[in-house]
Amino acid sequence: MGALRRIHALATNTVREAIRNKLLYTLLGFGFLMIASGVLLSTLSYVEVDEILQDMGMSAIRFFGSGIATFVGIGLIHNEVDRRTIFTILSKPVSRSEFLIGKWAGLTFTVWLQLALMAVAFWIVSALAGAPVTGDHFVAIALIGLELMVLVAIATLFSAFTTPMLAAFFTIGLWMIGHLTRDLQALSQQSDLESVTVMGTWVFQLMPDFEVFNKTLEAVHGLPIDTNEIGLAIVYAAGYTACTLMLGTTIFSRRDFK
Amino acid sequence: MSFGSREIVRVEGVVKDFRPGFGLRRKRVLHGVTFEVVDNEIFGFVGPNGAGKTTTLKILMGLIRPTEGRASILGCDVEESEFRHQIGFLPENPYFYPFLTAREILDFYARLSGVAGSERAQRVERLLDLVNLGHAMDARLRTFSKGMLQRVGIAQALIHDPKVVFLDEPMSGLDPLGRMEIRDLILSLRAEGKTVFMNTHILSDVESICDRVAIIVKGRIRHQGKMEDFLPDDRRATDVLISSLPPETADQLEERFELEMRGLGERLELRVAEKDVNAVLESVMRVGAEVVSVTPHRNSLEDVFLDAVRAGGDA
Repeated sequence: MGALRRIHALATNTVREAIRNKLLYTLLGFGFLMIASGVLLSTLSYVEVDEILQDMGMSAIRFFGSGIATFVGIGLIHNEVDRRTIFTILSKPVSRSEFLIGKWAGLTFTVWLQLALMAVAFWIVSALAGAPVTGDHFVAIALIGLELMVLVAIATLFSAFTTPMLAAFFTIGLWMIGHLTRDLQALSQQSDLESVTVMGTWVFQLMPDFEVFNKTLEAVHGLPIDTNEIGLAIVYAAGYTACTLMLGTTIFSRRDFK
Repeated sequence: MSFGSREIVRVEGVVKDFRPGFGLRRKRVLHGVTFEVVDNEIFGFVGPNGAGKTTTLKILMGLIRPTEGRASILGCDVEESEFRHQIGFLPENPYFYPFLTAREILDFYARLSGVAGSERAQRVERLLDLVNLGHAMDARLRTFSKGMLQRVGIAQALIHDPKVVFLDEPMSGLDPLGRMEIRDLILSLRAEGKTVFMNTHILSDVESICDRVAIIVKGRIRHQGKMEDFLPDDRRATDVLISSLPPETADQLEERFELEMRGLGERLELRVAEKDVNAVLESVMRVGAEVVSVTPHRNSLEDVFLDAVRAGGDA
């Protein structure tokens, strides 16, 4: 119980800090703008107007949500070390893993808060344009929330041992790879070289697979979303986040704060 | 080395190497540092800049790991975290979240320290009053001066009523009145039965409040012990200020006694060994010279400190 209370205190403080980050509001503003601009884009087509509008809106949610998770997350630990606030925190009965988990939980909550705001914007824009919004749209947005949770864990991991610039580079790199792993694996399976096939499988197993969380197509086109796939996405997000934070804790525990 | 049963802090053979950059040779900043701090004492850890004081303290706080050796507080390895509800720490030049108020930041640290919700608000207010920040409880920390932040730092170190308090340059950034208040606060902590470990280079503070001292120079402990151990009897002397002393008497005194003589205009200052004071005074008064003052001279901690630094520099 003591550990949970400490993590809660750290997470609450992280939210307080994150919501003062101007970059967050800049990205959120652009997110709203992109969601709204779907209306303009959809006027360029005579067919599938609603689908274009909503596809644009959900892509904007994913893109700017990932931007917030990455660019706010990369400075998370670095700022604490740089400003030496970590000295007083770790002198209390707070373990390094609690500290890392608290920071991750706080930022995940902040990102989910932004996601909820963007979801409301998406719903308003769709309603104004007369595009139908179903429960599947919100399921797809909730899955984006799981993707962002994993991404915050990855940003926290890199923030635990490297500079914000490198952390951004690695996190964005993994996010892009995460959306391409299935294609990379499929390509590698077509190779005649066994080493390429094996490597493709390894990459698929080690790198995050963010397409697990991508149900935009189904939601926008009214296709059914398999509940088993939702369950798999939840388990995958929990497992990948736990492993990433465990790795982050291992590295962070060995770090000297000069 | 054997340690007493009342030991609170134990540092044994601690070595710390830092790598200045990727691929560069390691630099040793602590060379087998060993000392102990016993229960209910104020322990001064002094040394010049770059001597390794803060590195040692960071090892004790678990912020950096020793390359060799071990350190423990209250019998627990410093890398553990659970025992930390019994210790408080004030880092050098503390920095806090500027968007929080003094009340909020102390509440945050109280939560981290496991202070029960029912007593948190009361304790926060009491601590802020204790460090004279009662008037600024609800002001944002971004508006605080360096001295006020230092006071917040001291308050957060004490928020959970720890048994041992570690202070890194506690007087830093404080005006003379503030320094006096913090000195009194440290003394009151000892009176409450707490143990205080203090990193500082303000030697007058160490002399006035510390029970024991360790002097570290270039990563090595040069001296450690009780304050009186630094000032052995045979080094105690008395300064005698005299006027109108005939030159031939001065020459005779120099021949008969081991003393240091220094001319101060019309007057002469003699630094006389304690055992010779009476004899010197008799000789001086016999020739009709005027004794202006007789002042016991203690070999100050500063003398010992400077000797240690010079010796460290020669090493």
